[in-house]
Amino acid sequence: MHPHLAPAFRRLKKSLFTLSAAIEENLHLAMEAVLKGDVALAGRVRSRDLEIDLMEVDFEEECLQILALYQPVAIDLRFVAAVLKINNDLERIGDLAVNIAEHAKVYAGTDPGEAVQRLPKMAEIAQSMVRRSLDAVVGMDADLARDVLATDDEVDRRHRENVAYVRQLLQETKADVERLLPVIFISKHLERIADHATNIAEDAIYMVDGEIVRHGRHHVARE
Amino acid sequence: MLRRRLLWNIYLPFLLVVVVSIAAITLYTSRSLRSFFYERTTADLVHRTQSLLVALRPLAHTMDAAAVGTFCREHGRSGNIRITVVRPDGTVVGDSHELPERMDNHATRQEVSDALNGRTSHTIRYSPTVKHTQLYVALPIQLDGETLGVLRTAHSLSTIDEAMAFVERRIALGGVLLALGAAGISFGLARRISAPLRRMQVGAARLARGRFDTRLQTTAASEEIGALAESLNTMAAQLHERISTIEKQRNEQEAVLASMVECVLAIDREETIIRLNQASCDLLGLDPSAALGRSLQEVVRNPDLLALAESVLIGSDAVEGEIVLRRDGERHLQVHATSLHDPDGQRLGALLVLNDVTRMRRLESLRRDFVANVSHELRTPITSIKGFVETLQHDPPADPAAFARFLAIISRQADRLQAIIDDLLSLSRLEQNGGSASLLREDTRVADVLQEAVNVCTARTTGELPPVHIQCPPDLCVPANTALLEQAVVNLVDNALKHSGTSAAVQVAAAAEGDRVVITVRDQGRGIAPEHLPRIFERFYRADRARSRSLGGTGLGLAIVKHIAQAHGGEATVTSAVGEGSTFRIVLPARSGPTASA
Repeated sequence: MHPHLAPAFRRLKKSLFTLSAAIEENLHLAMEAVLKGDVALAGRVRSRDLEIDLMEVDFEEECLQILALYQPVAIDLRFVAAVLKINNDLERIGDLAVNIAEHAKVYAGTDPGEAVQRLPKMAEIAQSMVRRSLDAVVGMDADLARDVLATDDEVDRRHRENVAYVRQLLQETKADVERLLPVIFISKHLERIADHATNIAEDAIYMVDGEIVRHGRHHVARE
Repeated sequence: MLRRRLLWNIYLPFLLVVVVSIAAITLYTSRSLRSFFYERTTADLVHRTQSLLVALRPLAHTMDAAAVGTFCREHGRSGNIRITVVRPDGTVVGDSHELPERMDNHATRQEVSDALNGRTSHTIRYSPTVKHTQLYVALPIQLDGETLGVLRTAHSLSTIDEAMAFVERRIALGGVLLALGAAGISFGLARRISAPLRRMQVGAARLARGRFDTRLQTTAASEEIGALAESLNTMAAQLHERISTIEKQRNEQEAVLASMVECVLAIDREETIIRLNQASCDLLGLDPSAALGRSLQEVVRNPDLLALAESVLIGSDAVEGEIVLRRDGERHLQVHATSLHDPDGQRLGALLVLNDVTRMRRLESLRRDFVANVSHELRTPITSIKGFVETLQHDPPADPAAFARFLAIISRQADRLQAIIDDLLSLSRLEQNGGSASLLREDTRVADVLQEAVNVCTARTTGELPPVHIQCPPDLCVPANTALLEQAVVNLVDNALKHSGTSAAVQVAAAAEGDRVVITVRDQGRGIAPEHLPRIFERFYRADRARSRSLGGTGLGLAIVKHIAQAHGGEATVTSAVGEGSTFRIVLPARSGPTASA
């Protein structure tokens, strides 16, 4: 191992946590903007996402620098490779947070209603999946990563329920379509965020075990 | 180990000195002895040869072989020496031990040739004839200045050599004995020196393990070791004192840190956590041992806090900020970040002090809401009054009925203003009186209070009323300020009447529950949605803004109820279900507190 690799890794991990903290915060603010119909907060989410994008560019360069300067091998190389891929996932999660915030204007200045109340819990689960998957990467904890993979089913179930719920409301009561559609959109976004967290967890497993569990192969591995 | 090494260190020089000196003495003594013996033997032999020469002289003229041979044998045997007589040409005339015919020419022998030249000579040489080292002495046989032959005598040196070998063996044996004695002495010395040293080593090892109560024995064998032990003892005492001082200080610091309500987090320049107190562990949900040594980013996933920490690490001396931490609900934290310096002014890292200001922020927002609400509540009637007054001033209606209607509206709005201000004043009075301490109380019959309150409410309200049922034990008493308690019940009954229809009954009841008295007012109106329940007792909080105001409330009624209950050391609670009605309770302590007699 190159003598300067350990400090470089330490910096890289710190950057990864800083990035993920910013994204988590933005996701939370986006949900808050929707729940409160706060358009100004939604604007802040958008501008913070620009900062996050810049952080991501820096982060990618940091990874490439490590590859070029220290030529890591084995698990070190897998770590950098995994982190590079994770960066992509994080970037997408950040964008999805902005997409969620965009829906705040529909509820601007009004009480968003009961249907929207189904979302915060789901957002919380998705957020904790992101956080735990990153913990798994940095802590090289394959078990935690598998735990995250298992949680994804819960988010998927909630998404299906949300869709069914909104569809029923629309059919039964001819409720306000404009105010119900965003619930489906946001639910879908959250489901995508959980998928990205799943990707990160899979990268963590690859990094630790060198085993590729993408495309559902982990189901076989776990049985 | 120590002893053995010390033993060798002492013994080897000892042995060296013994061996070298014994060798030197042996060498010197044996040399001198040998040369002394040789000299004595030579002198003796020369002397005997000279006397033999005198005896031989009569035979010298003839040199008759038979006579000389007999002489040699006789004298040789008696003197235990070998006697040889040689002619000047070197041929042997007679010999005491050998036949002359069998002996070779002796002219070349060192001693013989010297004697032929007229000198007395002696030499030591190995004799092939007798196979031994021999001392030879040769004298010339002279008569009237003419050399007629040589008389040579020889004496074996084997006895001297044997004696010398014996002496040398004796000396060597003595040397070995001395070496053994030296070993014994060295061992004893080593023991004497090493035993106290060893004790000191054991003591020093205990000191090194941190057992500072150890004291070394200072009455050691030698002065130097005793002094060393004393120095070690002093050192141990001082170390013990310093370490216990440091430990005490550290414990104090730990205790101060641990008992702080504020969270304290110290990070180094690499943003690794080097210190944190219990409060921060509780706030951030950390295990103290696991958090140490991890990076701040890993432990605190809050971009604002990370940014604050970074700005201090980059260069600012101190920054302040407020962050929102989301963990089990929102927590507002005031963060002070300052840079840490070591005594040389070198930057070590940063210190983060987090202060939970969630409660303060909530109170602030309550106050803001209150001011806004009061202004709003007061403005509505004033706007109305002002409007009608202006109408009356500038454009008075011709119709006296309209005039009277305007005045009635103005009067109603003024009443409303007065009601709000009365409520605010009674709230403020309740607040100023503070707790239950200064409240004047008397034993109050609860049944009377309930009846009176219901009477007030029904008298005040015009129009059709729902039935009101009072249910109360007639002798139930509670220590209370009667007027205030009545006001609280009036407020509750008023609310119940307003929110019930005309048919659904309102239940007013009181009962003793253990050491408390519970007054219950239950209506069967619309009920209150769960999300409003926690805030229903706040001032000006309305579950349904439009409806409540149209019913003529000030928005302060329930706040007053809560304050009155609290002033009596009790509490006001509510349970409600939408569509089924609400139940308000005033819970009061049945026995007066210690200040009730005041």
